[in-house]
Amino acid sequence: MNAVISPAAVVVRRTIAADPETLFDAWLDPEALAEWMRPGTITKTVAVVDARAGGRYEIVMHLESGATVQHTGTYLAIERPRRLVFTWLSPHTDKRETLVTVDFIARGERTEVVVTHEQLPEHEKASHTKGWTGALDRLVAVYAQGE
Amino acid sequence: MGEYKSATLDHVFNALCDPTRRAILARLTDTDARVTDIAADFPISLNSISKHIRMLERAGLVRRSITGREHTLSLNAAPLSEAAMWIDHYRRFWEGRLAALEAFATKPQKRKHK
Repeated sequence: MNAVISPAAVVVRRTIAADPETLFDAWLDPEALAEWMRPGTITKTVAVVDARAGGRYEIVMHLESGATVQHTGTYLAIERPRRLVFTWLSPHTDKRETLVTVDFIARGERTEVVVTHEQLPEHEKASHTKGWTGALDRLVAVYAQGE
Repeated sequence: MGEYKSATLDHVFNALCDPTRRAILARLTDTDARVTDIAADFPISLNSISKHIRMLERAGLVRRSITGREHTLSLNAAPLSEAAMWIDHYRRFWEGRLAALEAFATKPQKRKHK
């Protein structure tokens, strides 16, 4: 997975004044997760975590209307405090599993957290070996400008 | 995103997950090209190239126009808009989550009672 970024991947990074362990644990502690995994319109999040490779998680976000948005997935790699890899399935992924990799990079007293969210975990192996070239970056850029 | 779109997305990403097909698309970014010209660019058989092109057509990424015996391919980037929507949604989602993670991890009283 090293720097193998598909054109259909989201990469978001943020440098936070905390150590990698604290930040890493916040992803796997259900209480912590319930607290920060709560976008603006969500009144309450309930998280259930089986924090081991092959273990599953469920994050249920409650909307004001009473409706819930369910997110589920499987942990593929738990490498404390450097890397966390899990599948991610939600209504926003068309109920298919996508792949999320979170890297925790120590930057002095702070830690850079990098979230890479890719679309197709079934191509995970392919992307390990072949990789996605940057050939389509330009295409996407052209599209983004032109349409 | 409904089922139809989901199927579209499948075709798009299946089409994109092969280096030859990405190279074909990259070539079509600048200009339309004849199938025979594209085939000449790649060290694989015309038959394999045709298969790749059919997958791109199925995904709607490539359109074929036929004039006499000449088949010309052009790029159609519209199916990528679905991918763009997906990217936009999750970029905003994760940016929001990382901001919340920062607030959580740097909040003094929270850290103490952990």
